[in-house]
Amino acid sequence: MSDVTTPPAVLRLDAVSKSFGSNRAVRGVSLSIQPGQVIGLIGENGAGKSTLLKILSGNYRHDEGTIAVNGREVQFRGPADALRAGIGVVHQEQSLFTNLTIAENIEVNTPIGRGGVNRLGLYNWRRLYADAAQALDLIGSHLNPKTRVSDLSFVDRQMVEIARAIRVSAASHTTPLVILDEPTAILERTETAILEREISKLRDIGSVIFVSHRLDEVMRICDRVVVMRDGELIADRSVDDVTEEELFRLMVGRETHAAVRNRRSIEPATKPVISIQDLTRAGSYTDVSIDAYPGRVLAILGTSGSGREAVARAIFGAEGFDSGSVSIAGYSGRPSIKKAVALGVGYVPAERKTEGMVGEMPADQNITLTHPGSAAIGPFELPRRRLSLARLWFEKLDIRPREPEHMLQDFSGGNQQKVVLAKWLNSSDLKALVLDHPLRGLDPGAAETVNAQIRSVCDDGTAIILIPDTIDEALDIADDIVVMRDGRISGVFDLGHDNPATLDLLERML
Amino acid sequence: MTKIESETTKIDRETTKLAVPVRAKFQSVKRIGGWHAIGPIVIFVAILVVVAILTPAFIGGGGLAIIASSSAPILLLALGQAMVLNVGSIDLSNAAIGLLGAILLALTLGPVAGLSPLIVLLATTAFGAVNGLIVAYAQVPSFALTLGTLGIFQAVALVASGRTTVYVSSNGEGIHALYESGIANVPLTFWMGVLVAVSLWVLLRYTRIGRGMTAIGKNESAAIFSAVRTRSLKVLAFALSGFCAGLAGIAIIAQAGSASPTGLGSDLLLPAIAAALIGGTSISGGVVNPLTVIFGALTVALVPIATTAVGIDAQAQSLVYGAVIIAVVALTMSRNKASIVK
Amino acid sequence: MVHNALSKQSAVGIDTTAIRIRESVIERRARFRGLAEPLSLLMALAVLIVVFSLLNERFLTTSNFQNVLTQSAIPLIVAVGATLVILLGSIDLSVEGVMGATGMTWILLSANSRGGVDLGPWAWVIALGVALVLGVASGLIFTALKVPSFIVTLGMWYVGLGIATMLYGTDLLPRLEDEGLKGWTSRISFGLPNSFWVALLVIGLGILVLRSTRIGRVTLAIGNSETIVRSAGLPAFRVKVAVFAIAALLSGLGGILATVQLDIGSPTVGSGVLFIVIPAVVIGGTHLGGGKGGILRTVLGVFLLTILNNGLILSGVESSYQSAVTGAILVAAIVFAAWSQRDRLRVAK
Repeated sequence: MSDVTTPPAVLRLDAVSKSFGSNRAVRGVSLSIQPGQVIGLIGENGAGKSTLLKILSGNYRHDEGTIAVNGREVQFRGPADALRAGIGVVHQEQSLFTNLTIAENIEVNTPIGRGGVNRLGLYNWRRLYADAAQALDLIGSHLNPKTRVSDLSFVDRQMVEIARAIRVSAASHTTPLVILDEPTAILERTETAILEREISKLRDIGSVIFVSHRLDEVMRICDRVVVMRDGELIADRSVDDVTEEELFRLMVGRETHAAVRNRRSIEPATKPVISIQDLTRAGSYTDVSIDAYPGRVLAILGTSGSGREAVARAIFGAEGFDSGSVSIAGYSGRPSIKKAVALGVGYVPAERKTEGMVGEMPADQNITLTHPGSAAIGPFELPRRRLSLARLWFEKLDIRPREPEHMLQDFSGGNQQKVVLAKWLNSSDLKALVLDHPLRGLDPGAAETVNAQIRSVCDDGTAIILIPDTIDEALDIADDIVVMRDGRISGVFDLGHDNPATLDLLERML
Repeated sequence: MTKIESETTKIDRETTKLAVPVRAKFQSVKRIGGWHAIGPIVIFVAILVVVAILTPAFIGGGGLAIIASSSAPILLLALGQAMVLNVGSIDLSNAAIGLLGAILLALTLGPVAGLSPLIVLLATTAFGAVNGLIVAYAQVPSFALTLGTLGIFQAVALVASGRTTVYVSSNGEGIHALYESGIANVPLTFWMGVLVAVSLWVLLRYTRIGRGMTAIGKNESAAIFSAVRTRSLKVLAFALSGFCAGLAGIAIIAQAGSASPTGLGSDLLLPAIAAALIGGTSISGGVVNPLTVIFGALTVALVPIATTAVGIDAQAQSLVYGAVIIAVVALTMSRNKASIVK
Repeated sequence: MVHNALSKQSAVGIDTTAIRIRESVIERRARFRGLAEPLSLLMALAVLIVVFSLLNERFLTTSNFQNVLTQSAIPLIVAVGATLVILLGSIDLSVEGVMGATGMTWILLSANSRGGVDLGPWAWVIALGVALVLGVASGLIFTALKVPSFIVTLGMWYVGLGIATMLYGTDLLPRLEDEGLKGWTSRISFGLPNSFWVALLVIGLGILVLRSTRIGRVTLAIGNSETIVRSAGLPAFRVKVAVFAIAALLSGLGGILATVQLDIGSPTVGSGVLFIVIPAVVIGGTHLGGGKGGILRTVLGVFLLTILNNGLILSGVESSYQSAVTGAILVAAIVFAAWSQRDRLRVAK
């Protein structure tokens, strides 16, 4: 597929690295993309894909190595630089102005000052529409440039984003490179088929980096597949020389099986604390049934389009659902957050700083915010008792420094997360704890101590529903694993007798 | 939040990057806590000193007592406003509610005598609660909603008073005594404000209700996820604003014996917001100390005297209030470079 | 719904006809959507006019018609600026203060009963310069210092009032002396009041700015998502300041016209305008969150409120009720707009 006669690569990375503190997210990645090539980029969550993309889109600056676009070395100071160099990124989150027309969105980053505006400073709409129609035509779309983006379906919006990316590169007279970050995650299967077709057409005008969780897609669309693992680029294969099976194995690396722990089996008499039946929310998940038992960790695995986060929020009453039921400790009805908490459910949100904690409040007040326990008599709070109660939790969960009277935002991430845990543990009657990416953003040491606390909470008889970042995290700690794909359950494992390998789980996820 | 604090957030970001020992950050936080409590008092004393130097007769002539007595309605309104600001909202209607309360009081004191203040307080609290219910349950922006209800309350005040000044016809002695009698030469109306301030301070500091309100103001999403009763608490904050406005209405009648439907209400809105802000209340929510709001109100009451002393035209008062509000917020906002302000 | 079924068919064998059909469905839907909201407003207007003309025969006369147009002219001018600000997702509460300061500056520099200087056209320039300074100050404090717009403009409202009061001082009432200007606003030219012609010009320019200039389009973009505006490298800062400046200029123009109409200088010349302008923008269907709405809708909103007030007064309703009516309409409009977006996790300040 690649054009052998054109030597300068559209993009060349040489030993590019990026670290966050002690965490080396991208390590020495080297990659070269020729004009007209479609490259698949795959890897597990946390493999460094998104960091690499952010470097390419100018959102992050790399620490080491060089990046060359069309044979010229570049240093991106911001997203605008990357665009000018001819790299257009279509992010998972859409970046279109939904209240403006397709034409304006496509032309927004081009120097409108020259072509589209007349001497009085007024837009030349006819010219604008014509230019946009041309850009759309280039990718084979016949959308009317006068249409407002809010009227478009997701797949059409992505077409507009692609057209914009192409247009920007065309304006800078370079071979465009379009990066598609999981474009199919939010699309229906039928829409995906359309998008796939359009992507393969892009070959004629530029190069594409296609990031996806769906390996079958990658195999169909791409010329080459590169695999990232632990921040490194570990494989670069032509699709003709590789099988899906092999790619799975490359992504996972070693064949991990569930860690040998004394998994608890469910006693026949035990009733589930949380039992959800045929839970459905249109566009998010369908017919999900899960039972969570006391003293067991149930991990839900899935990719970003799987709907697992939404299920977790439904259990906590933070989001509604369309049909099915959630029963908590025997009560079933439409749960609200208040009701769920009263029934003994706790929830640690993925967005710790914005949803999990009140950063500008002292740690001790965060701990007693929901369940004051002995720190309040009726409506009255007792600051001194609150402090000593908090000290106990600081001791028990090893939160440092041992100064609960300080603002929570001044603690490190791991210690903040432990305070969030303590907020729920301070309940006299905690029956179930829902953890949404509890280790997100924590360094390995902090993650380990938080994990240890989760385990010990579970040992005390609480049911844990865990949305882990990685498969290894699930295998490390879970007693049960439920795998979701596209909003449905695609696999259920009881680690007491099943012994799934990472590969088995990954295959059910993708 | 204070200016110093916004600097610490900067330091904060750097320390996380450089992994400097946590201890350094912790100490800087402590220092700010101190400034926050003292700031409003320092401002008040500073202005007072200027006034005393320029017009020595002021202090000797019982000027402080005069300021305290004239600050009572502002103080009460500011306390209510501070409670609403604390949950991250704003109540532009509270001065109008206070004025309506004053008119209702003047109208009803004759017929129902002692029951009248009670009726007024119930009514104004209910008005505030309605504001809160709409903000909490319809999830509308509070400034727009209370701008609308401000219009409604103003009209009701106009209609109820028949567009003229309403005088207390009879039974006014009890209310008037609130202004006439006092402790340490300062009328009871001011002490009423102090009492409310102390009660609110206790509420905020020593009760779960207060803790919940502050949590809403600092991070409403986290409060929702922590099962804090965010809606009820917002309603309560607005209801308290209505209640305080009712007390302000009583203070107006106690002082003047009459209420006029035009002018006074809107004349109090801005000074009250200024008093709350100078008193250390954060416009973005979660930071309030009712006790320092007392000094905020005193400072605002000092403004007309201070401006005259410095030689600025007394006419310029509203200019000073407007500029002070902008300046105080601009100086004390905690900013984040990436944040989007509307 | 239709388009879903269609695209499903297309999945089997991807051919372009299915895509074309879908694209045309999108277009048809888009064309229809633009009409629905203004239509309901027009209907409300029609109902009002019918009801009031039945209640009072004086309502449907030429003189009352011209009267309504004169009354709506100043709110219309101010509302064009307010719409732009609200499209940013911000708010401008300072209109009455800016009107007061500008109107007072203008009359004191024109021929008036106090004597003093008569700068003629320069009075307009200087007065509008005062408005511009206030607007740019609001805009800069808002954008550079990140003070929320409602608090900046609330403060600027009173700063404006203060400036007007100081200029007014304790002297005699400044009365307009220029006979040509006296009553100019309500004088009829080509069938319409002069001030309404000015309003039409402002509306036309406003629509042009919003539809076809960088300022207008970036304003809409900021209202939609400021995050995307920044990452796309668009000039968010300059546009925001410019919009506040435009809004203040228009308030200032309204203030001068209001002074002409009133014949005398008064710091509170703008009194009550804010209460028509903001409800009018909101019932016109412009979102307080920004990004959605337009100037023509606001025009309908202003007419609706002016006609409502005019009709009520003609029907014998006391004018004291005016602010209650507009206040209630504002409350109803924002509740109506927010109702469908309610969510248990949503945060509204």
